[in-house]
Amino acid sequence: MIMDPPPAPPATAGATMPALQVRQLDVRYGKSHVVFDLAVEVARGELLALLGRNGAGKTTAILGIVGLVPGASGSVYVSGRSVSKLPSYRRTKGHVAYVPSGARCFPNLTVQENLELTARPAAGGWTLARVFERFPKLRELRSNQAGGLSGGERQMLAVGRGLMSNPTVLLLDEPTEGLAPVVVQGLGSLLLDLKRTGMGILLAEQNHRLALRVADRAAFIEKGRIVAEMPAAEARGSDILHRILGV
Amino acid sequence: MSGGQLLLFVVGGLSNAAYLFIVAAGLSLVFGALRVINMAHGSLYMIAAFVTGVVANQLGLTLGFWGGLVVAVIVTGLVGALIEVVVLRRVYGEEHLVQLLATYALTLVIAGVVRTVFGANYRTVKPPAAINFSVTLAGNSYAAYSFFMIGAAVVIGTGVYILMYRTTLGRNIRAAVSDPELLSASGVNVARLYTVVFVMGAALAALGGAIVAPSQAVNASMDTDVLVLAFAISVIGGLGSIIGSLVGALIVGEVLSFGVQNQYTNPYAIAFVFIIMVIVLTIRPWGLFGKAEQT
Repeated sequence: MIMDPPPAPPATAGATMPALQVRQLDVRYGKSHVVFDLAVEVARGELLALLGRNGAGKTTAILGIVGLVPGASGSVYVSGRSVSKLPSYRRTKGHVAYVPSGARCFPNLTVQENLELTARPAAGGWTLARVFERFPKLRELRSNQAGGLSGGERQMLAVGRGLMSNPTVLLLDEPTEGLAPVVVQGLGSLLLDLKRTGMGILLAEQNHRLALRVADRAAFIEKGRIVAEMPAAEARGSDILHRILGV
Repeated sequence: MSGGQLLLFVVGGLSNAAYLFIVAAGLSLVFGALRVINMAHGSLYMIAAFVTGVVANQLGLTLGFWGGLVVAVIVTGLVGALIEVVVLRRVYGEEHLVQLLATYALTLVIAGVVRTVFGANYRTVKPPAAINFSVTLAGNSYAAYSFFMIGAAVVIGTGVYILMYRTTLGRNIRAAVSDPELLSASGVNVARLYTVVFVMGAALAALGGAIVAPSQAVNASMDTDVLVLAFAISVIGGLGSIIGSLVGALIVGEVLSFGVQNQYTNPYAIAFVFIIMVIVLTIRPWGLFGKAEQT
């Protein structure tokens, strides 16, 4: 009798699995239900734009993925591994990087301390030197307290903090809000470069111009639900874009 | 007042300021990071003073005090860890009144335990033999131990500064002061960090209690005595600021020292501390070095 060959070992987690999979994510704040049955998937080297108006649930969805809201249920997988049971500090230790809205940093720490705080060295990954190379302005300001930086500088710092953890998936919450057009351009080209390194990116935005220029796919969120998902090329100028974002 | 007398009062004030600074720095550190006003801080200080007394008397004059100090810091640190895990974790994020009641309850429990374990009698602790002598300066005699207390405060204050501004732990504590949620989203275990901060606060209370033990009678009302002064210092200097604790301790230490030296002002020495506190509260409600609470 010929034995069947043993089943192939599961592919090393990470290599072939999506960077991020979210299933049935529900988030409640007390009695109010904010995010309903949310499912998204981001492949390695892919950028998914999560588009919706203010209050549609973008930030809450991201907080649910990061594990920062107590009333969240559902499953979150990073490189195929479930992180649903992990507290936020373990999800963000090298798996998921969270770049919060409003360029939130530690205002009472220096620029360099802000960056070092999230550092998770990885072979060939982001280091302090590489972040400074990408954002020379941050090198100049390295010893300054982050609270004294301009909005654009702080946004660069917030993104730099995300990169320092060399994450599998990078979550950005409205990173272009209030930025000068030239800074937005720089951010766009950075995101394209990051995709090429295999990082999965979830970009929550109202600014659809930048988002759809760099995204591979777009998901539209309204009243806490994903109402449509499509390739970015299809989303540009689509009816749903007009309907949801009012453009 | 002669120059010699002035020096005597100033040194007395500095040695007051020394132990008060160590205690108030712990109170301030805990408030800064945990946003909890720890009413039991004086109780931790009292535990340490009693433990120092018991161990010092067991070990004798040469090593006794030093052994007592080490054991006191360890015991008090463990009590601090227990308090943080069992009590404080349940009241973070609650309103201040709930936190005050919880930590006030601890002061009652600890006071009862201390009376049961150590008795209500006064105890005396001898300074270590190596610094148990007196020095004559400008016609007045000083206990060398007073200078040791001042030196200890300088060393401990410098240590706290280095820890806060030159180490990863200190950087994380400062980050927790401004945004604990972002810290958690940056891969730091904030719950564990809070335990570490509270144990550090308890250790500072313990160092204060151990160091003060040879300079005054160790007794069961030390907890409230020091807590009242540590609060005054924190209010004057600004709760949450280590530099504020230093300046507040210097002010309170000197005011007490000068206040008690004169028969007319002696009964009111502590009242002067509170008059200064009221003046500071009127002009800068957040203290000399504190930050106005953001809404």
